[in-house]
Amino acid sequence: MDILAFLSPLFVLLIIGGTLVGIIFGAIPGMTATMAVAVCLPVTYSLGLENGLALLLGLYVGGISGGLVPAILLGIPGTPSSITTTLDGYPMARAGHGEKALKIGICASLVGGLVSLMILYFFAPTLADFAIRFSYVEKFLIILFALSVMAALSSDLLLGIFSGFLGIFISLIGTYDVTKGGNGEWRLIPPGTEYWLEQGFSLLPVLIGLFGLAAILDEAETGMKPGLGGKGVDVGQHERFSLSIFRGQWVNLIRSSCIGTFVGILPGVGGSAASILSYSNAKTFSKNPQNFGKGEPAGVMASEAGNNGLTGGALVPLLSLGIPGDSTTALLIGAFTLQGIQVGPLFIGNNPVTWDAMIVAMLIANVAMFGLMYFAIRYFAMVVTIPKHILFPVILMMCVIGAYTINYGIMFDVWTLLIFGVFGWLMTKIRLEVAPFIIGFILGPSAEVYFVKTLESFGDLTIFFTKSWIAVFLWVLIALSVGGSAYLQTKKKG
Amino acid sequence: MGSLTHVTINFETSHLIFPTLIGCILALLGLAIAIRDRRQLAASGAHWRKILGEMDKMRFFGTLALTVLYFSAMVPVGDIWPNTGMGFLLCSIPLVALSGLLFMRERSARSVVPLLIVAVAAPTLVWWLFTDLFFLTLP
Amino acid sequence: MTFTRRTLLAAASAAAILAQPFAASAADLPRNIRMVIGSTSTGGDTYQAAAIVADALSDKLGVNIKVDAVGAVNGLKALERDKRGTTIMLFHDFAYLAELYGGKGFVNPFDAFTVGATIANNPGNAYLVGANSPYQTMEDILTAAENGERVRVAIQPGGVSEIGFSAMKNAAKVRAPGSEENIVAVNTGSQSDKNQAMWDGLADVINGSIQANEQFTQLDGDDQKAMRFVWITASPETLAEAPEAGMGALTRDAMLDYASPKTSVTLDGTQDFTFDKEFFLIYNKDMDPAMIDTIDQALAEIYEEGEIQKKETAAFFTPNFRPSAEAREHLMEKRETYKKVISDISG
Repeated sequence: MDILAFLSPLFVLLIIGGTLVGIIFGAIPGMTATMAVAVCLPVTYSLGLENGLALLLGLYVGGISGGLVPAILLGIPGTPSSITTTLDGYPMARAGHGEKALKIGICASLVGGLVSLMILYFFAPTLADFAIRFSYVEKFLIILFALSVMAALSSDLLLGIFSGFLGIFISLIGTYDVTKGGNGEWRLIPPGTEYWLEQGFSLLPVLIGLFGLAAILDEAETGMKPGLGGKGVDVGQHERFSLSIFRGQWVNLIRSSCIGTFVGILPGVGGSAASILSYSNAKTFSKNPQNFGKGEPAGVMASEAGNNGLTGGALVPLLSLGIPGDSTTALLIGAFTLQGIQVGPLFIGNNPVTWDAMIVAMLIANVAMFGLMYFAIRYFAMVVTIPKHILFPVILMMCVIGAYTINYGIMFDVWTLLIFGVFGWLMTKIRLEVAPFIIGFILGPSAEVYFVKTLESFGDLTIFFTKSWIAVFLWVLIALSVGGSAYLQTKKKG
Repeated sequence: MGSLTHVTINFETSHLIFPTLIGCILALLGLAIAIRDRRQLAASGAHWRKILGEMDKMRFFGTLALTVLYFSAMVPVGDIWPNTGMGFLLCSIPLVALSGLLFMRERSARSVVPLLIVAVAAPTLVWWLFTDLFFLTLP
Repeated sequence: MTFTRRTLLAAASAAAILAQPFAASAADLPRNIRMVIGSTSTGGDTYQAAAIVADALSDKLGVNIKVDAVGAVNGLKALERDKRGTTIMLFHDFAYLAELYGGKGFVNPFDAFTVGATIANNPGNAYLVGANSPYQTMEDILTAAENGERVRVAIQPGGVSEIGFSAMKNAAKVRAPGSEENIVAVNTGSQSDKNQAMWDGLADVINGSIQANEQFTQLDGDDQKAMRFVWITASPETLAEAPEAGMGALTRDAMLDYASPKTSVTLDGTQDFTFDKEFFLIYNKDMDPAMIDTIDQALAEIYEEGEIQKKETAAFFTPNFRPSAEAREHLMEKRETYKKVISDISG
């Protein structure tokens, strides 16, 4: 490849700058990679195609990665795709291994990013052809598989699954979205609230309400005792970190990266499913599944390798079908059209230089992400030394910014934050579980569309089992995951 | 067999299928929980009295009240200077200051001064960053 | 100083006076304007059309205009709340089609709002078949329907994507009453869902666009993804404004082959049905008309200068500026035509 055609100091600088800004966006609860790309999109017009893409891809990789910081240190996922990182990362931080958890997350992110990049570079068109064999049936089963993690995450199976289904139920409030294939009718809206609930609750405000505001309320209830996270987080600054922690975890890392990549390839399945599926798989195949959710490093690895695996994967359908794999890559289409470049099945062949530039940019972005984050760990860790009476008011303010700007200025999203903050606090009081709830909430709308559309187009329930070998394979995975969790539950009791 | 598994979906009413299905599952699960945990449910009054009894009521309800006030004030204040994000800025400064004071355990000058500095600096920085640099809409 | 009711009132009125300059003289626009759009995507055509016109207007009028992708429902709500002209909206034909198709919560924008200037068309709305499809032309499709063959068309219901489908049904009805029953909708969502419906064998014809689907038409016929255009809904006048090189391998002349009059989908037996996806401004009903005049005036000057046309053409829009009054009349006429089509086929 003719690297010199695009590789300039500016190109590299833009990637690094983009990655840095992306990390900051990702690290602020409620700000996402998508938003980072959206606010910087207009800048790219004057930069030219390759340099513009350099900036955007840096933002993308940085934004997806940055979410692990608050997930681990504060227990608030910075982006929806880092929810599963909180499950084990935060317990690790509370047990005094915050720095170790951050390092594991960063290393896993790098592996995920690089594996998915390799897959993108070598197999993009082939994989796209494979991905289009996934019809509504297979996509529903993928979502169902991701949902099966609800069982794995529950500490009380019945209450956990109830919470998960409650999450699905609440996610269905509002309009049956036409852009996803629905009929645009309203349902489950309590009378008198149509004006606000017509569009239902948005994911991000719900997420930061449940994790962010609920945590603040929880602290307020117990009187803001000194020390973070109730029990005090020791970041473990002086703990020795060696790569030996990854020994025996390479299968997990590679599998999670591949799952993340593959979920990215399937248009419409959604980015958060990537880390959820990787996490669920890691637990199913782990030797110590009972440690998951209590501070198991393998859980952080799976989640972070999975969500960074998404980055390369989501570019596959974009560059080989002209169809974005997630909401962030949808914006890249805008960047291409701004420059008058058509994306579609001929993109790679017609634009070899741009294609190479994108691959190199992704490579540099991943390395830059690793370097920047690794270097910044000690500054991230300072967050936990800020007194609570300063930290929490600022977090509250940032949550408001995130909620308000996520849909470009809708005040109801801010109120959603409060509703779910209080709801999240209440849930813990009545022993409902937040993790299955939010997973149900995230996956509910996709589960609905794929389920209903399957029946609408095939008109027969048996199609779920008979459509293809892919469907059968997915059923096996679902059975393994559910069976595994059930076995663990009985073992715990017995 | 074929007729047993056969389903016809009417697109006009297809928005109700999944909510109904999930609703039924929820009801069943709820029933199962109610049966299994009937003793705890019966004792829920005591459970809540205990929670309320141990609660730091001033901080908890104070936080809720401040948040509601903060959210309610933002839009009317912002409407005085439309589309400038002033509503966010002018409401966030008192919010950070007041909730900081509320959360603080020992209110001495040594801890109040840094808080007040943060209360002015943080919202201003964030406001500048988002409205000027990133060109996003704030209330 | 103690805060009494009086001091608070004084402060409030002082604030109100401070706010005055922004809204005082009629023709002056507010200094900070928010342009909401009817799409939640910042990568889509609505956002691009809005960004181009917002840039040009900001420069011309010396005001700040932010484009916010809040979506149709929230955009119209924001517009409804703001009488001061600090919120304006840019949207396309969905604004009135949604109500015609009975979209929940949508009203006739010509009654509830003030419809303003049109600024550009997206000429790309198209219908495609698989490369191996037995249907070569729209004529084949309509004939098939006449012969009792079921033709399944993948669309996103309730808007721009459905109007061409309604036109097909209408044309079938005009040609052979009853045959419209054989043209059936496959209700899907985004472009990727529509493509997938074709690849899954669930649809014979799909709605798409020149921009998103052209490269699929260049693929070999034995590639399962390969497609062919059968109809481009834009009017010949609009396509004449498109760049001569067209898009990808599809030149402007080739586009014209798929559009009226060469490809005819009849409206009433004499005229062809056409549909241009037009972008236009919408204002609050009570917004000061003098402000709307100011915007019209500025747009007229911008289009006079000719720079904006280059930008629009480069992004595959066709410029079509009409000042508010003219635009309103044109769009209301358009609405009447489609209203009749929709009621005829459902009647």
